[in-house]
Amino acid sequence: MGLLFIPHCDSDPMAVPECPIIVEHLSKTFKARRRSGLPDKKAVDDISFSVKKGEIFGLLGPNGAGKTTTIKMLSTLLIPDSGTVKILGMDVTVSGNEKEIRKRINLVSGGERGLYYRLTGRQNLKFFSNLYNIDKKKQDGLIDDLLRTVELSDAADVRVEDYSRGMKQRMHIARALVNDPEILYLDEPTIGLDPEIARDVRILIRRLADSGTTILLTTHYMHEAEELCGRIMIISKGRSAGYGTVAELKETVRDTNIIEIITNDDPHHAVVKISGDVSYSNTERSGGRYCTRIQLKDKADILPRLNTIFSEYGIRKIGYDEPTLEDIYLSLVSEDES
Amino acid sequence: MNLKAVSSSFKQQGIQFLADPQWIIPSIIAPFLFTVVALYMYSGVGDIDSPVVLTAVLGGGVLGMWGNMLFASGFTITYDRYNGTIEPIMLTPTHLIDVITGRSIWNTLIGLLNAVLVFVSAELIFGVGVSVAEPLFFFPMLIMTLFSLASIGLMLSALFVLTRASFVVMTILEFPIYVFSGALFPVSVLGGLAPISYVLAPSWGVDALKTTAVHGHESMTEFGIAFSLAMMLFLMLVYIAAAYILFRVIERNIRESGTLVRY
Repeated sequence: MGLLFIPHCDSDPMAVPECPIIVEHLSKTFKARRRSGLPDKKAVDDISFSVKKGEIFGLLGPNGAGKTTTIKMLSTLLIPDSGTVKILGMDVTVSGNEKEIRKRINLVSGGERGLYYRLTGRQNLKFFSNLYNIDKKKQDGLIDDLLRTVELSDAADVRVEDYSRGMKQRMHIARALVNDPEILYLDEPTIGLDPEIARDVRILIRRLADSGTTILLTTHYMHEAEELCGRIMIISKGRSAGYGTVAELKETVRDTNIIEIITNDDPHHAVVKISGDVSYSNTERSGGRYCTRIQLKDKADILPRLNTIFSEYGIRKIGYDEPTLEDIYLSLVSEDES
Repeated sequence: MNLKAVSSSFKQQGIQFLADPQWIIPSIIAPFLFTVVALYMYSGVGDIDSPVVLTAVLGGGVLGMWGNMLFASGFTITYDRYNGTIEPIMLTPTHLIDVITGRSIWNTLIGLLNAVLVFVSAELIFGVGVSVAEPLFFFPMLIMTLFSLASIGLMLSALFVLTRASFVVMTILEFPIYVFSGALFPVSVLGGLAPISYVLAPSWGVDALKTTAVHGHESMTEFGIAFSLAMMLFLMLVYIAAAYILFRVIERNIRESGTLVRY
């Protein structure tokens, strides 16, 4: 049901391609371990998209949807089973291309791992800049600049094992910038960060894109995707469930209504009662109240009925609302799962 | 080959080594134990100054170096897998083997420290006179033997990329060298299995080491020593070439199977 829109891109490897990332009919299956009795797992199933130069492209989906597998194929860490991936005009499946591609891309993964804890921040950056064969004369200045960019100059000579979670994440970003990549893959870069640091990371991502870096971002935070991404692909079970700008994705739910109901008590039983009429529903507790968002299957006006069903839970507010990216995401993912 | 990566990996291994006290076990305690075992094994053969006892000390030293090399080769990959740094390394244009080579050179130097510790502990604690008969031949041969062990370690580290059971593999691989290198007893006692030792570079070094270390030991002529050195060099080149091929095959394999980050 996803919108399939692949802009025309110049794939001449000698030119700077208009779309540094072009993915067509990409698939990957992981073989189950022998004697495990489990079936093979199709992690990515026939997805296609492209990313323009300087664009921040979002890849959204639940855990296990295939986001990280996709990023790994795009960053040459995995070889696709089928389909085409062209990075900066070079096919990732052609043996030997990976070395050239790796010089011009980098990847940041969320989480605590991926740094040498017994080395200082500066030593980590020095080590990785040598792996990118960066001129020794340039290294010191480059490392100082990177440390300043991620605001870790004061902790440059402290061992990474003494860094906080947020400092480690910023060090990951600094590590990923040592080769001044043309493409940066960000796999949940703000996961587990406090709101202030997450905001700083988002500002940094925006700045990188503004300076011409092409960014592919995966995230579970819808507000982050909405704030940063020009276009988004929602994937579920390895397949594309939706693709386009946030406005284009909102169009996909224009034939339905979103209703928001705020109650004093948990309306779980009421939600079960109306499950036949809704595409999806989501209840969150906030400030001692319950906010339930419901997407109706059609535009039928069932507001009076909902009023009756939810009344015993103490309605504080009920009414139609504009769809958010989260509504679209939940709708597309639940539709795909059903 | 990216020489910057090799030198940086060497330094990185050094910093990690010095920052992590657990390395004391394979680098200092294990070789000392090997010396003790070797000395007790041979204590009934002759008095403490006999050439046989010095031979035993040498054997203990070689085994200590091998144990350390094997542990370091396996641990270096296992650590990167566990630490999540294997992916950032693989993501760079540098081949993994360049990184492993730098680390192996550091491990080789630590192996040399092992050998020195074995001699010092034999001399100071057990009173074994460690006077080398032909130091001009002995010390280059010792270093070559050490590098030959490192080249085996380099080749095996490709297997450690492939398997998650690196500690099991390490333990299994420790013993063939004990048996086939001639470090603790002459290869001739192996009978029909003796030819296996001819494809192990350290075996050639061990014999030459004994000859150059022990006064009056005449099992090898000068030609024999030169031939041993040449064989060791040849086998080392074979191991290094095999390591490069193995790494390329295995890197491709793990990119297809997606097993790199499983731990």
